[in-house]
Amino acid sequence: MGPLQKTRADAAARSSDTLIGTRIPKKDAPQKASGRTRYIDDINVPGQLYGKILRSGQVHAKIRSIDVSAARALPGVHAVITAADVPWQRPIGVAKDHLPLKPDRVRSPRDEVAAVAADSEDIAEAALKLIRVDYEPLPPVTDARAALKPDAPLLHGDDLVWTGPDGRAEVVHAASRDNVAMTFKYAQGDIARAEADSAAVVEDVFQLHYVTHCCMGVSGVIAEFDASDNLLLYSNTQVPFLHKREFAEMLGIDPGRVRIIQPPIGGGFGSKLDIYPFEPIAIFLARATGRPVKLIFTREEEFLASPTRQPVLLKLRSGCSADGALTFRAVETLHDNGAYTSWGATTPFVMMQTISSLYRVPSCDYQTLAVYTNNPYSGSFRGYGNLQATFAVEAHMDKLAEAIGMDPLEFRLKNAQDPGETTPQGMNFKSCGFKECLRIAAERSDYQQKRRAYRQQWNDSSILKRGVGMASMLHVGGGAKIYPSDGCGTILKMDDFAHLTLITGASEIGQGSETVLAMLVCEELGLPLSSVSVVNSDTDITPWDVGVHASRTTFIAGNSAIGAARKAKTKILTAAAGKLDMEIAALDLQGGYVIARATGERLLELSRLIRSLHFSDKAELVMTTYYYEPPSQHQDKEFKGDVSAAYAWGTQVVEIEVDTQTGIVRLLKVTAAHDVGRVLNRLGIEGQVEGGVVMGQGYALTENLIVENGVIRNPNFRDYKLVTAPEIPEMDISFIESVDGEGPQGAKGVGEAPAICVAAAVGNAIYNATGVRMYGLPFTPENVYRALHGQAKPVTWDIGA
Amino acid sequence: MSDITAYAAPRSLDEAVSLLQAGDVTILAGGTDLTPQTKSGKLTFRPTLMNIRRVPELSGLTESGGVMRIGALTTISSLLASPLIHERFNGLWQACDHFASDQIRNAATIGGNICNASPAGDTLTPLLTLDARVVLASKPNGSIVRRTTPLGEFLTGPGRTARQPAELLEAIEIPMPPEGFFSAFFKFGTRPALDISVISIAIGAVRDGRKLTRVRIAFGAVAPTAIRAAATEAALEGRPIDAAAIDAAVAAAVNETKPVSDVRASSWYRRELVGNMLRRMLDHVANS
Repeated sequence: MGPLQKTRADAAARSSDTLIGTRIPKKDAPQKASGRTRYIDDINVPGQLYGKILRSGQVHAKIRSIDVSAARALPGVHAVITAADVPWQRPIGVAKDHLPLKPDRVRSPRDEVAAVAADSEDIAEAALKLIRVDYEPLPPVTDARAALKPDAPLLHGDDLVWTGPDGRAEVVHAASRDNVAMTFKYAQGDIARAEADSAAVVEDVFQLHYVTHCCMGVSGVIAEFDASDNLLLYSNTQVPFLHKREFAEMLGIDPGRVRIIQPPIGGGFGSKLDIYPFEPIAIFLARATGRPVKLIFTREEEFLASPTRQPVLLKLRSGCSADGALTFRAVETLHDNGAYTSWGATTPFVMMQTISSLYRVPSCDYQTLAVYTNNPYSGSFRGYGNLQATFAVEAHMDKLAEAIGMDPLEFRLKNAQDPGETTPQGMNFKSCGFKECLRIAAERSDYQQKRRAYRQQWNDSSILKRGVGMASMLHVGGGAKIYPSDGCGTILKMDDFAHLTLITGASEIGQGSETVLAMLVCEELGLPLSSVSVVNSDTDITPWDVGVHASRTTFIAGNSAIGAARKAKTKILTAAAGKLDMEIAALDLQGGYVIARATGERLLELSRLIRSLHFSDKAELVMTTYYYEPPSQHQDKEFKGDVSAAYAWGTQVVEIEVDTQTGIVRLLKVTAAHDVGRVLNRLGIEGQVEGGVVMGQGYALTENLIVENGVIRNPNFRDYKLVTAPEIPEMDISFIESVDGEGPQGAKGVGEAPAICVAAAVGNAIYNATGVRMYGLPFTPENVYRALHGQAKPVTWDIGA
Repeated sequence: MSDITAYAAPRSLDEAVSLLQAGDVTILAGGTDLTPQTKSGKLTFRPTLMNIRRVPELSGLTESGGVMRIGALTTISSLLASPLIHERFNGLWQACDHFASDQIRNAATIGGNICNASPAGDTLTPLLTLDARVVLASKPNGSIVRRTTPLGEFLTGPGRTARQPAELLEAIEIPMPPEGFFSAFFKFGTRPALDISVISIAIGAVRDGRKLTRVRIAFGAVAPTAIRAAATEAALEGRPIDAAAIDAAVAAAVNETKPVSDVRASSWYRRELVGNMLRRMLDHVANS
């Protein structure tokens, strides 16, 4: 235990009745562990039909005709719809370039062409087989570099026109003259001068691959209209309040008539941040049939039609002075946007933060082109571009250190951010434990000594070679102001038995927010955890929240819950002070009692006090509301601004063993140090870090969604290899408690952080073990073996000017 | 929608082969290959689904007359639990230890693994090194007829065997190996189990001091079926296991395997692995 950790641990141990920092099992764990949780697949609504989607299977083609007559005639089929049946459908997605049902052209094998609602899944599937679609193949574009060539076929070269019920036509996505879907440019300082002043300059091209979320619960939705045409959705979405509005717009109805209920979600990790075609299609089917329609993916469909992590080709040029100060970084990236634009295209928001602000870099230049192809489109995925950026940046931290002959830990410490710093991009690090993360991870893993020792084996005859590698990360830890509000609302109700119902806008997607929010409220009101229920899954009940993303829930929803609890406490103590004829300041709440603050003496039983307020002539309910909006800023047009209320830091050191005769890289140990502000639920945060590390491990070593010429080749768990339990390494996790001034009880967000460093650290460790630097992921055995034997395909940046 | 019109669960071999003789039967044993293959549409159910799990003649692990008989229904878990398999056929036991997951091993049968005839089938390479034979039963003219064929001839292609539609795989017979016999199995993968072989190697030989005789080498996932490697065996047969013999065997192995490239590995990498891993196994033999 480091000195800093020790003091903080002592501080936490001082007050034995605090919940903060203790190990609390997740509130939903007993239900889940005993198989009682009802996921969307377990929910059946009376009268429901089953929806199925016909996908094109074509990489790029014109639809000549669709014949649904045989499918419609099949007994048990209630509706077969194509784009022609929903002329009013509106495009979805980040750039509104994507119609749920494709009218005349398909741009990827996952494209939705028709859909069926039937009495059973079997009938729906049989009906799909009866639909005849006549395609005329079009030339495919399955490489982002090729998509930029002047003669490349244009994927969105025509206006997308929407015609309303009144016949009014509107261009909803304008024709583009090239395949560029989105661009980003950011600059600070003077690159040319900085480079001229550099003692060492390195440049490399990195290639980051496709992976997908693999949520254990597959995608699904149940859509239902009531007799008054109000829409009810059972949905796994991570952003119910944003989607309410989008679905209403799509249907041309008042958003107040859309209600979203979230059953327990079997994994999100960012995959459910956008609307995907299956959701509007289920709604179309419900409208067409007047019946509830349940549409659940098969596992294969989950692989074929879910978003992926953004694949990136990245060119990085970096420099430093002879004494080890970073001078500049210039980055160009090519993002394969796939056929339509989802959140993956916007990962540069996060990538440029790592480029510009993880370390102090006076001059930076960042550019991204996101380019349409016929490949799968990418969404948001835990880390949101940061795994990709960190992979390149941390490889260069090692390379620059080596170029000037400096120890890589010392090099990082010299350039690491300190508390109080405001970066040229406008991020202000009010709390920052970065240097402690670096020191503690290095010390606990014996990084420096091992790194020197393992280098000695490069040229010996050993078959198994060990290596250590280090990588660090910066990520938003206090929300991210992307939308007009980054806030969250809370309603807190205390009933006449002093039982609390915490009604929060924040969704639970397995991250443990229910438990942490309950802890924060109980901590304020001096109540045991058993006296709180959390309601968080129904937009007709819960107050607004922007959604689960950007590692924001503990921070934002936590502060909101604390705000509501403090209002309740004031109300209770005010009433108690009146009854006891004492000053409010002399009272406190503890263990279900109003106590004398000075002596701890129990003065009033809380439930009796509450009843006396409820059941009186002047009835008063203890029910409070609070809306928390973090003190962060929107970025300006130059991408500058203090976008988060707090920032999270972390360093991970990995130790690996490379089998040079097979290319197998075994991850032996991960030593992680994360600045989390403050540990709230120790059990929960350990689980989150462990889970994140394993997700990062999969990205680094085993997972690879193989896309060849636009086609996914391994849509199954047999050939898409998630990490299995015996492969999980030993982990040594330290929490740096920088106690953020704005955070709830000092905490910062940690959801995405632990996944970010692993691949970068493993890349550095492979170099330390073998002397071979790999610039592309994943580090699967064949890729590593090829690299070790000079057979790797070089990663090149050949996209022209 | 399934096309199954009848379900049969015979309680004797006689009943089972009679049903097979009537025709158009899909045989269900453990179901661990059948279920995913029919679900994915790779295989279509025939009108009769016949569950053979209640046929008593198909179970049992018995040794008599110098032959080990393994009933076709023997599960991978029972093989793992058998001290006899562990002691005398350790290569086969190792293959079972790398076979899928506990849940699958509890259901999957050795007969099913053979009849599925995957080039990567885990038990096939060790069985080939044990000179295993398959016993097939049928009832063509009112009485049960049996034929026995070497496993190497039974496997004819990916998913294909020499089994006739009316035949049922009843058992596997393995001649008890002589004194000094050892066997070993290697399966490439990043996981200790739950993985499909990129390549697998089984070796079996009789060891006399440093000399190897009766050498059997088999490779999985490098050809349309699991195969015996004749040239590799010849390079080792009757010679002391030293660096020169190992070099010759490795060169022969790389030369006589012609693997394909697929989503799991390239042909080039598979051949590199065959050479490197055979060398690793033989080095281990030489040093033990």
